[in-house]
Amino acid sequence: MIELTIDNLAVSVDDGATILDAAEQAGVSIPSMCFLKGCAPSTSCMVCVVRVNGRESLAPACGTKAVDGMVVESDCDEVHAARKTALELLLSDHVGDCMGPCHVTCPAKMDIPLMIRQIAGGEFGEAIKTIKNDIPLPAVLGRICPAPCENACRRRLQDSAVSICLLKRFVADVDLASPAPYMPVQAKKKNKRVAIVGAGCVGLSAAYYLQVDGFDCTVFDSNEKGGGMLCDEPADKLSGGVLAAEVGVIEKMGVEFKLNMQVTGGAVFDKICKEFDAVLLAVGLENSEGLDSSLPSVFVGSDIGGKKKMAVAAVAAGKAAAVCVGQYLGGEDVAGSVKPFNSRMGKLLDGEIDVFMESASKAGRVEPAGYVGGFVNDEAVGESLRCLHCDCRKPVDCKLRRYAEEYSAKANTYKAKRRGFAQVLESEVVFEQGKCIDCGLCVEIASRESAGCGLAFTGRGFDVKVAVPFGRSLTEGLGRVAAKCIAACPVGALTSR
Amino acid sequence: MSEVDLTFLDDAVGRIGRGKDRVLELLQAAQGHYGYLPVEVLERICELTEITPSAIAGISTFYDQFRHTPCGEHIIKICVGTACHVKGASLVYDAFLRHLKIESGGDTDADGLFTVEKVACLGCCTLAPAVQIGEITYGHLTCDGVGAVLEDFLRRDSIKKKDKKKGDGAAKIHPEGEIRIGLGSCCVARGSGKLLDAIEDVLTETAIKAEIKQVGCVGMCYQTPLLEIVLPDGKTFLYTTVEPKEARSIILAHFKPSSFGKRLMNSVSGLLDRVVSDNVGVDLCCHEAEVREGHIADFLGKQEHIATEHCGVINPVDLDEYVSKGGFEAFKRTLGEMDREDVIGEIEKSGLRGRGGAGFPSHLKWRAVEAQDCDTKYIVCNGDEGDPGAFMDRMLMESYPLRVIEGLAIAARAVGASEGFLYIRAEYPLAVKRIEEAIEKCEEAGLLGGDIFGSGFSLSLTIVQGAGAFVCGEESALMASVEGKRGMPRLRPPFPAESGLWGKPTLINNVETYSTVPWILNNGGDKFAEHGTVNSSGTKVFALAGKVANGGLIEVPMGISLRQVVEGIGGGIGGGRTFKAVQIGGPSGGCIPAGKADISVDYESLTAAGAIMGSGGLVVLDDTDCMVDIARYFLEFTQNQSCGKCTFCRVGTRRMLDILERLCAGQGQKGDIEKLYELSLMVKKGSLCGLGKTAPNPVLSTIEYFRDEYEAHIEGRCPAGKCKGLITYSITDDCIGCTVCAQRCPADAIAFTPYVKHEIDTEKCFCCDTCRNVCPADAVKVE
Repeated sequence: MIELTIDNLAVSVDDGATILDAAEQAGVSIPSMCFLKGCAPSTSCMVCVVRVNGRESLAPACGTKAVDGMVVESDCDEVHAARKTALELLLSDHVGDCMGPCHVTCPAKMDIPLMIRQIAGGEFGEAIKTIKNDIPLPAVLGRICPAPCENACRRRLQDSAVSICLLKRFVADVDLASPAPYMPVQAKKKNKRVAIVGAGCVGLSAAYYLQVDGFDCTVFDSNEKGGGMLCDEPADKLSGGVLAAEVGVIEKMGVEFKLNMQVTGGAVFDKICKEFDAVLLAVGLENSEGLDSSLPSVFVGSDIGGKKKMAVAAVAAGKAAAVCVGQYLGGEDVAGSVKPFNSRMGKLLDGEIDVFMESASKAGRVEPAGYVGGFVNDEAVGESLRCLHCDCRKPVDCKLRRYAEEYSAKANTYKAKRRGFAQVLESEVVFEQGKCIDCGLCVEIASRESAGCGLAFTGRGFDVKVAVPFGRSLTEGLGRVAAKCIAACPVGALTSR
Repeated sequence: MSEVDLTFLDDAVGRIGRGKDRVLELLQAAQGHYGYLPVEVLERICELTEITPSAIAGISTFYDQFRHTPCGEHIIKICVGTACHVKGASLVYDAFLRHLKIESGGDTDADGLFTVEKVACLGCCTLAPAVQIGEITYGHLTCDGVGAVLEDFLRRDSIKKKDKKKGDGAAKIHPEGEIRIGLGSCCVARGSGKLLDAIEDVLTETAIKAEIKQVGCVGMCYQTPLLEIVLPDGKTFLYTTVEPKEARSIILAHFKPSSFGKRLMNSVSGLLDRVVSDNVGVDLCCHEAEVREGHIADFLGKQEHIATEHCGVINPVDLDEYVSKGGFEAFKRTLGEMDREDVIGEIEKSGLRGRGGAGFPSHLKWRAVEAQDCDTKYIVCNGDEGDPGAFMDRMLMESYPLRVIEGLAIAARAVGASEGFLYIRAEYPLAVKRIEEAIEKCEEAGLLGGDIFGSGFSLSLTIVQGAGAFVCGEESALMASVEGKRGMPRLRPPFPAESGLWGKPTLINNVETYSTVPWILNNGGDKFAEHGTVNSSGTKVFALAGKVANGGLIEVPMGISLRQVVEGIGGGIGGGRTFKAVQIGGPSGGCIPAGKADISVDYESLTAAGAIMGSGGLVVLDDTDCMVDIARYFLEFTQNQSCGKCTFCRVGTRRMLDILERLCAGQGQKGDIEKLYELSLMVKKGSLCGLGKTAPNPVLSTIEYFRDEYEAHIEGRCPAGKCKGLITYSITDDCIGCTVCAQRCPADAIAFTPYVKHEIDTEKCFCCDTCRNVCPADAVKVE
């Protein structure tokens, strides 16, 4: 047995164990990207570096054998800084977006590409879930949203943007017209009451997400119906029925509506503040007089002080407020929701749009034929196939993204001219060179088990890349281990189609 | 492309072998035959051998030597080693591209006649800047001289072809050799008539029977008079700007006078060196690749010869001569009276440390291998000398191949290895040839092979030729390469002593280390330790080059000061410039400023000063050298040579280079120096092997000693006037209106205005430096 310490924790391991093995045993978490059990350590990513016996140069935990009496430091500033630098260096050479430009641009941060793919697959029930994760009023917004997402859509470089807004409306309309419109699963009741003052976009959105989180919400509004400024939209754009239907869903979730009720003025407000565990002010600027927001349990979720011109931004503000209120009531620090890490490839270089177009329908933007401006099934599916799949195919499992978040690595610390975007699309697999971190796992697995011609590292230094020998196809190279290699790939370089 | 005839490969595989470790040799043979490596050839090799497609795709793209696209008929290899770099190699490279009208991104001219390539280092540092075309090396190039060089090459090439057509090239040469003298009009104008008289006098006096041939203009009019010596075996030597008084020594250097003995030959050989390469007055010289610098430059000063013992007097592959001077005595003793421990004990007493760069005590390594209980052990000689600006090991292998082999044999005996490999850079064909010959002779004499002198000890040696990858100088990468893999370093431990070639205990040292071993055994470890300092004993061979007056190879005792080397042995800075710094240790080393030049040359002092001993490249810099540019130059090199395995080296060095390139282009921003410094420390700390761990040294040491120059670049100035993005050329009032610059300017940026002060159109100017070089009035200013 070998005895060593990791971050002052004593651990004993078998002969031949690495520092990474020892750390696992000691319960010390060491990040690693290029290492996979069952494969020889390639010691390439260097994200797993640790300090050994106080030495100046750091050692990769995955490949360094544990030695008796070794003193390993994993949790110190210097090791953290080195890991962060390794991640930032990898990110400086990472060609690809974690999230599609539409997703990033959407004020509500709705996962648009996922919704589109669900539509393309005919999974409308899944699509509505995706939408309602961030937008509780999609049928409404599908009619009035100015769709900043479409402005960011890369497809515009080819012809015109994917008709995102209409696709969302289509899904929402299909849902509302169904016998049992989508009801989100609600968390276990937390027995806390939240008063929301104002039934506009912000208030409705906050109520929706707080209710989903298990809080009991009551919405106050001086108006006779919910919707706030949405009620002022011209009827030919937004009929009252659509708004009522989506407010109805929220009501059906258990949110109580106290309409025709003026909350301004001391007495009523004080009473609400006493009666409820938290109060969220979601009223417009002109209605905010006399509402004292200095109490710790009173939150301001509307555009007091600012102007949310777009309903979609108001919806986002409502969700953000709900997160804060939830954190407050849960006794956590009120920090709002964490912005997910996103690597961006930025403006496309000449010719790159053609690479993106390879996977998309070449047809022009579909214009709805009948049905008062909305899509019918085939139109929606046809339109959704025009999406370029700009977002990463491994947004959740990508270790680079996960550790970048964990170590607060920034994607643009080292500014550099980026490489061109390249993508190999075959029937089962997709390979994006620009995302590869040269860990060699696929090369090793394929050379051992593919029964095909395998993969190879070609070139040297900064130009090293993984390629199939003699320019053959990926399918030939991967042989029967495509799925295994895809699963082994720590980033979004090798993915299934 | 048309069908490739693959039958050659059947023969090649039959000759070279089918094993996985034969891949480099097979690829080298294939490229030699086809000129490049077509896909069909690679596929066929996989069919015929055990080599997998994955391996061959990886290996054929890892090494610089291999081409995957056809190239021109002749390859122009432009040396971009350190010495060449500081003497304007990149300007010469640009000039070739311009002259051949090769567009950016391409490397071959439209006629498919020439392909232009940069090479890491030709090891001809005293000829800097140098290029090699085919087998001819041209030195001291200038931008406006590239046309003449190409013409000269084509002229020689056409003669060669004509000779070939006749069937026998040698038949054309006079049996006693020829002395060719240019008698074109410019040659005559520059005094070749008097030279001819002088030659005739010498021949009469010495009764040498060589034929004097008068040849016409060869197109290199600005370096006349020209004198070419052609020996009976076809070897040629070209001398430029020859004075009549030099005729005698040149002729005596090549031809045996009937009345003089061998002793006289030796006595003039030092002079020969001066004429061929080291004469400052020679501005262009060319010769067959074989001669290069010839012998070690025998300067005055504090030199001591251990690795280079018998310098200048010994025939490299004459085994009898080597034995007559005590060669292989030491090895024979290790077979008899000395046991393993005796040998290692002597090495320990000598204090010898690895001469490859890191300076690890040799006896520790030897003892570690000796202690391994294993039937199979290997010994490796690292001759992959890749540092730009270093050519010590090349010289040792070319001049003292037998000593290298003896050292290797002693070490093999001491550690119990019976199979050895000499890994030699492909750029050193003569070293390969000499070592090959030396091995053959030793085998014939029973000094190598099975059961040597009945001792029961056997040793077989094999040469492995590298294929152009600096990282293979790192021991774990070198061993991967010997095994027929991509030259990727791996994490150590385990060290080679424990698990080396094919997982077996392996002793690996560099050429110079082995070269000192016979001397140590012959004279005793204590005697060796008398040289040098306490912790750095013995001597060190350096390649002294750059802006020093007398460049060349030197062997000096450890502990000598850098200033003694530069000013004493090197004769100080040439051309009236001032001594600024010494770059020592190549891409892993650092720059030591002139102010600190009194430090002692030993492992510890150099490391403390931010440099390293390294393998022995020593490039002297003067006030016209920009230190930011030097740092950029080395980073460009290491970045290009990184194997690409670990993140810090693969991406980190690239990002460091990005910042340095920005600085040199005048696009530096506030904070860049700090960011560069921080990143350098990270790359040093986090890289996997020595290449990455030391790559930041040139940057860190220049930031430490020359931070003001970095800051100047951010402010938009290059104080040394080197960085193109930050300088402008202009003509001062000293201009005499001679029009030379206007005639020579390749950019047409200077209007032809006789007797009137000239002006440079800065829009057109691409800073090739030609005008400044040609101006007779020193009227070109760079700011």
